[in-house]
Amino acid sequence: MSTIAETAMPRTHRRKRVDGWRWAGRIFLALMLFYTAVPMIWMLLTSIKSGFAAMQLPPQWWPAEPTLASYQKLLDPQNSVGADFLRFFWNSLFVSTLTTILGLIVAVPAAYAFSRFTFPGRNFLFFSVLLRNMFPAVIFLIPLFILMRWIGLVNTHGSLIITYLTFGLPLAIWLLKGFYDNIPIQLEQAARIDGATRFQAFVLIVMPLSIPGIIATAIYSFIGAWNEYIYAYTFLSKNEQLTLPAGIQRFFSENTTDFPGLMAASFMMSVPVVVLFLVLQRSFVRALTEGAVKH
Amino acid sequence: MTRLTLGCGAILRGTVVIASIASLISAPALAEPPVDLSKWSPEYVRSIAGTEEFDTAEACGKVTPLDYKGRLTFWYQGVFEGDPDLLRQYYKDFFETFRKTYPNIQLEEQALTYNDLLDKFRTALLGNAAPMAVRLQILGGTEFASKGYLEPLKPEDVGWSSEDFWPGAMKAVTWEGVTYGIPTNNETMAFIWNADIFKRAGLDPDKAPATWDDVVKYSKQIHDKLGIAGYGLVARKNAGNTPYRFMPQLWGYGGGVLDEADSNPTYGEVRLNSEASKRALQASYDMYVRDKSVPVSALTNQQADNQPLFLGGQLGMMISHPSDYNVMLDLQKKATGSDKDKAQTVIDNMRYGLIPTGPDGKRAVVFGGSNIHILKPEYVDGGKVDVPAAKAIICFWTSPEWSLKMAYAGSNPGNLNGFKTKWMKERLDNIKFLDVTTSMLPYGIPFPALPQAPEIMNIIVPDMLQNALTGAMTVDEAAEDAAKKVEDLMGGGGL
Amino acid sequence: MQGRVVVTIVTGQAEASRSPEPARSGMVRTVWEHRADYAYVLPAIVVMLVVIAYPIYYTADLSFFMTPPGLQLRDKTFVGFDNYSAILTSGVFWKVTWNTLIWTLASTIISFALGFATALALNREFIGRGVMRGILIIPWVISAVAASYIWKWIYHSDFGIIGAILVGLHLTDRPPNFIDSVGTVLPSLIVVNIWREFPFAMIMMMAGLQTVPEQLLRAAKVDGASAWQRFWHVTFPHLRNVSTVTVLLLAVANFNSFIIPWIMTGGGPSNASHIWITHIYELAFGRQRWGVASAYSVLLFFILMTLGYFYVRALSGDKKERGA
Repeated sequence: MSTIAETAMPRTHRRKRVDGWRWAGRIFLALMLFYTAVPMIWMLLTSIKSGFAAMQLPPQWWPAEPTLASYQKLLDPQNSVGADFLRFFWNSLFVSTLTTILGLIVAVPAAYAFSRFTFPGRNFLFFSVLLRNMFPAVIFLIPLFILMRWIGLVNTHGSLIITYLTFGLPLAIWLLKGFYDNIPIQLEQAARIDGATRFQAFVLIVMPLSIPGIIATAIYSFIGAWNEYIYAYTFLSKNEQLTLPAGIQRFFSENTTDFPGLMAASFMMSVPVVVLFLVLQRSFVRALTEGAVKH
Repeated sequence: MTRLTLGCGAILRGTVVIASIASLISAPALAEPPVDLSKWSPEYVRSIAGTEEFDTAEACGKVTPLDYKGRLTFWYQGVFEGDPDLLRQYYKDFFETFRKTYPNIQLEEQALTYNDLLDKFRTALLGNAAPMAVRLQILGGTEFASKGYLEPLKPEDVGWSSEDFWPGAMKAVTWEGVTYGIPTNNETMAFIWNADIFKRAGLDPDKAPATWDDVVKYSKQIHDKLGIAGYGLVARKNAGNTPYRFMPQLWGYGGGVLDEADSNPTYGEVRLNSEASKRALQASYDMYVRDKSVPVSALTNQQADNQPLFLGGQLGMMISHPSDYNVMLDLQKKATGSDKDKAQTVIDNMRYGLIPTGPDGKRAVVFGGSNIHILKPEYVDGGKVDVPAAKAIICFWTSPEWSLKMAYAGSNPGNLNGFKTKWMKERLDNIKFLDVTTSMLPYGIPFPALPQAPEIMNIIVPDMLQNALTGAMTVDEAAEDAAKKVEDLMGGGGL
Repeated sequence: MQGRVVVTIVTGQAEASRSPEPARSGMVRTVWEHRADYAYVLPAIVVMLVVIAYPIYYTADLSFFMTPPGLQLRDKTFVGFDNYSAILTSGVFWKVTWNTLIWTLASTIISFALGFATALALNREFIGRGVMRGILIIPWVISAVAASYIWKWIYHSDFGIIGAILVGLHLTDRPPNFIDSVGTVLPSLIVVNIWREFPFAMIMMMAGLQTVPEQLLRAAKVDGASAWQRFWHVTFPHLRNVSTVTVLLLAVANFNSFIIPWIMTGGGPSNASHIWITHIYELAFGRQRWGVASAYSVLLFFILMTLGYFYVRALSGDKKERGA
């Protein structure tokens, strides 16, 4: 494709221009990679040091005595730390998955409606859905806590799931609406002429086409719920229910911090979401590319 | 005050000590306390250790029968990965023993971290979802008592007597004449330094700085000679341990927030902008700005951030608990290879001493600790409080045996009888430096027992430090600004 | 194709006119006709209402009261607009507002620019692209709590690795002061925020770039357009919508970001890194000034509402032009 265009132009002139941008791009990428990776590498290095080694000054670049003790502690169900960590892990998984699924169930029809239908109050409702993000989450802590108490959900995961739903909805609806806007309405109209109801047309024709958008929304919801800290910290006080970000506090006590433990826990906490994203990201981009070509 | 010769100075100091002890005992002194507080010294403490036996189950069985059936929710500041192993073991033992002693009480305990406890407790109260009983640090209790959340509770309710506890501690749990809790443990910190750093800087490795002015001097010397930080200053806001480190300095110079350092404080007069207080603030300024001899990160440091510096040999001296020594022992055990030797060097060089005095010889430290409280039913999750069950666990925790064990590594039993148990004897032999912090107890001054105290200590005082140390305000301005804030706060207003 | 479309529209109108409802007011009839539509949005609206209406009411109500430290919340005293006037006349308010402005603008613009540039750089196939993409995503995916602690460690004024490297290379004799100095703390925190936020912009723009029609680009190239011209006249206009959405979402997220400034510096030193959100949190939870914190929130809400309204209007206006 591009080679055809290239061979059509005077070679030397074209190549210099392209190379300039390309090299700039490469250098830029290298810098970004450095910026991104160095803190992660440092986190990993700290996590394989012993407690004492982590506190050395000047810092040990590569630990003199690397140890996987922190990781073993975290993953060992017999150990109190490990038992807790695994339980937090499971809690986070539970909350995040439910939030994602429920979020999709709520957002997909809503986005479709905002995209396709005109009904009174449509713009107002669309705008108000967005409004939620404009309010600082922090100040809602106490009234929401009181509300949850009133509903009877305090200290349960339900309180978190409902709260997280509202965090993710605005973006979800907006993203999906964008997808639906780009799907030609003729497809549904064709289906309806063939006898499908509006709902059937939606579910059978349009929704499958918006899979990349749904995946993107799912990823965003999941990651948001997985990493959310302040609400989990406030709404849950029982140790057995804590999610990972709130549970990680145990590595801090009044007078000292277990740095290798903290770094190891941070690493382990990030692994699932990174893996999830990498796995889904490929199919997401692939689906998008295919969609673009089809046009 | 004019300069005194050595002999008169000693007498003066002795008088000050006795006067402060007397002030601590001045509270309702109807009966005799089980230990003679006027004789307090490391030798006295050693002499009374191991002189009495206590049977916790028997004592508490009189308060709540051992077969009592009930349910209890309970929050406390827990011990986690950062705490010494042997303390974690004792906490485990406590809950196991309690469950064995009272098998029919369904105990749902919840451990929270030091920084979380106050936040979560306040939140829970707002939603009427609090636990039935709670063990809070000493600074927190008055706020909740004044708001009417706590049930009146005194040692007599669980089978002890008020004289069994430190008078200063009892003062801290009293609000408007009514007692709302029982002290579980009390602690005063001491001064810890690295003998090797002192030696290399040309200071006497075995002597702590005598006065706060000496601290400034030593800090400068260490920094100038060795290029590392001298004193572990901390100035972070919203972190509980900033006031614990600054108030000894403030009181030592003769200053104070209000008149809490006096023998019978009335909390009427703001003293944060007195000459003495300004001198104390000036000392911090000198160290941070003029000499640059303290960690630059002091402004965002909590005490937990000082520990790595000290253990890495990058900090000469700081105020802390003896538990640091145990933490160091644990770290050394878990280190391997060359790190193990390095850790051992740090351990060998740790020294503890009394907190420095002010220029007038006044020695002061924060009288810290924790208290245990019972909540009123309407604020509790479930709407009911199982009072006998709560009393059972309170009796247990404040018993001589357990108030000692739960304070093993870094603190002291709230119940004075704890000093007489055999475990105290064992502790004196095993926990190095324990007698130093124990002998600091008479110099302990509690925070003002006011609901405004948390804000004053956790926000206004660190703010003052930060304003002065960043140069945003001069020392004078910072002190005046802080004094005004305290006045506004006490007056019920202020932003 | 054309014919079919026409038929459908006619049918639709015919259905509407055959509606058996008696003519009440026009509005009610329209609502009734569209009742099935509401079923699609109902779950979303219900969730949002429940979780938002009560807290908004509660906060707005509380903003007119004062909550002294010695009394329970329910014994609060009514003070009318005192809280608002106290806020607007306090020096801290203006300082915090200024901090928030810098924080939000700098974080949003730079994150977006970096994300966009990275998306462009990754837009062509080369070996290792997938891996690189994966690595670049990680800061966004990692928890903000973990990121705050790592960066705090890196920035540490006494033994952070940046300081250690610079001193080791003899470039300075003291480690640079990142987060303990009033002047440098906010930029340092912004760097951390950008580190976390730019992958989001990168993903969004990557998705957007996929939708730029290849034919147009090829045609432009054949016509002799340079790389820059191709970018500016073909790619960029096509991305306007995605860009707008991304910038708005970034701005709102940055405005509301709490964890990084709170955990790293707690708003210090000396209020230099307090943004609106952390300041509100400190007022509410640290100093128990619920009334004042609520008043702050209401103010914040109105500001955001106003900005958001104009922004969304611009966005919807855009859509109308494209005939959506």
